[in-house]
Amino acid sequence: MSDKQVAMVMDLNKCIGCQTCTVACKRLWTRREGMRHQWWNTVNSQPGTGTPHGWENMGGGFKDGIAQVGHRPTVDEYGKAWEFNYQEVFYGGKDHVPLTPVDGDADKGPNWDEDIGAGEYPNGYYFYLPRICNHCTKPACLAACPRKAIDKRENDGIVLIDEDRCRGYRFCQEACPYKKIYYNETLGISQKCIFCFPRIDEGVTTACSRQCPGRVRFVGYLDDPEGPIYKLVHEHKIALPLHPEYGTQPNVFYVPPMSPPTLDENGIATDKPRIPIEYLVSLFGSEVEGVLDRLHKERERVARGEKSEMLDLLISRKWIEMFGPFGKHPRDVGGNPVQMVTPEPITDKGGVA
Amino acid sequence: MDSRRVKNSSSYLSPVAGVWSAIEAVEVRMMPTPLGMQPTEYIRQSWNNKPYGSVDSLSVSSVHDGKTLALKVSWQGVSPEGSDFPDALAVAMPIGESPPLALMGMPDKPIHILRWTASNPILSSILSKGIGLSDHGPSVVAGAEAAKQNGKWHLVMTRQLGVGKNIAPLVEGKSTEVGFAVWYGANEERAGIKAFSVDWLNLTLDA
Repeated sequence: MSDKQVAMVMDLNKCIGCQTCTVACKRLWTRREGMRHQWWNTVNSQPGTGTPHGWENMGGGFKDGIAQVGHRPTVDEYGKAWEFNYQEVFYGGKDHVPLTPVDGDADKGPNWDEDIGAGEYPNGYYFYLPRICNHCTKPACLAACPRKAIDKRENDGIVLIDEDRCRGYRFCQEACPYKKIYYNETLGISQKCIFCFPRIDEGVTTACSRQCPGRVRFVGYLDDPEGPIYKLVHEHKIALPLHPEYGTQPNVFYVPPMSPPTLDENGIATDKPRIPIEYLVSLFGSEVEGVLDRLHKERERVARGEKSEMLDLLISRKWIEMFGPFGKHPRDVGGNPVQMVTPEPITDKGGVA
Repeated sequence: MDSRRVKNSSSYLSPVAGVWSAIEAVEVRMMPTPLGMQPTEYIRQSWNNKPYGSVDSLSVSSVHDGKTLALKVSWQGVSPEGSDFPDALAVAMPIGESPPLALMGMPDKPIHILRWTASNPILSSILSKGIGLSDHGPSVVAGAEAAKQNGKWHLVMTRQLGVGKNIAPLVEGKSTEVGFAVWYGANEERAGIKAFSVDWLNLTLDA
């Protein structure tokens, strides 16, 4: 058991699927050898198959406390980003060379069904679902590893793979019901989201949360009554875990997405939301209906001119307050603080320096 | 089993070298590791009713020249290219007093393992004090050469004779014990999901 648990809340009403979080994580952590295909952070359009494709049907997790057998996603199921013929297009010297995938390498990418969603016009719908490792309270990955190569930190509950102890057996990949563990073929080890623990240790929030332009992500301690996580999860109770039936007690929570009403054949709004409640219940459990109700009622109260701590929290006017105790700037911590220097003026010599 | 003394072990480095035909081979019976001894519930659940460790036996022979010991092992089970997990063979020897082989070492009775995989020409040297507790082992002068023929692996593993910290002693004129484990990669065998040689086999190095 951990003393404290660091946690994240994502407001799905604000995510625009810009993938800045995905790129922030990729640039910081997964540019290294053997990590090209690793997407510790993903943002998928729901309903959709997600990353890896069809992950919700790949088993793992626990049922009635018993470890469930899981599927280890294949490289194709994770999806491969296409390699394009940029060299040929830009520097090949020929006119009108179309941009095409190289060597027929054009299978399903990691985010293949982006923006497809479901429903029929005028009632089509989808929303974006950002996902990271949930740093679960009952991690199936940790329980599966025969070498105890996965540990849950005492002080903050961050779940980490010890890259020295890992032998790349990949039982963890099978056991994780969220399929958030990747295999590094070059190093022969499994790797996953580390909740930016080197930043967290210095009081800086995760890269994904800090880079998000949509102010989607809150970070803090789950049990800190002063912090945004506690308030959203325990006090206002509007942040829910994803697929709680997987039995791992994830510590990433979601404020479910509200949606416009469906239109009937005459174009008149009905009282049914565009995103079917049944679908949201399948993701977040039966409490989601009550949560959406409370969100709508709170918005109506504010529309009438009343105050709402809940909406103030969600609106996040003061961006840095979203990160609780992790509000430090990366520039101000660590051994080699970045120094701002005045850049040299660009002389007009043409071309790129 | 005897490790026959020969003039020069370097003639025996290749598993298909003709000289091996003059060296008597011993059949070592293998069986799958018990499912109940797998360290985690996930492994026990996911391999329940899934056959593994199906190698029946290994054919083992050995020579040494007072400096280097060569151990030739042949077994059925070559996986096709592109398997997620490689075919592998491990040779274990006790460092001091031997623990039961199935325990893979004990804190006060560690074992020294040399492990070959089809995906890496360099052997791993492993120190093990129990199931799930193997760690980086001592530096030893050791090597391997493998060949495949008709679905069978033929491997020669060599190791410098001698003693040392955490090194299983190999001394001419003395006996030690040896145990084996085999993984068939195409069946996704790795970690404790393997065939093993049940009990230690006595290995005596000719004086």
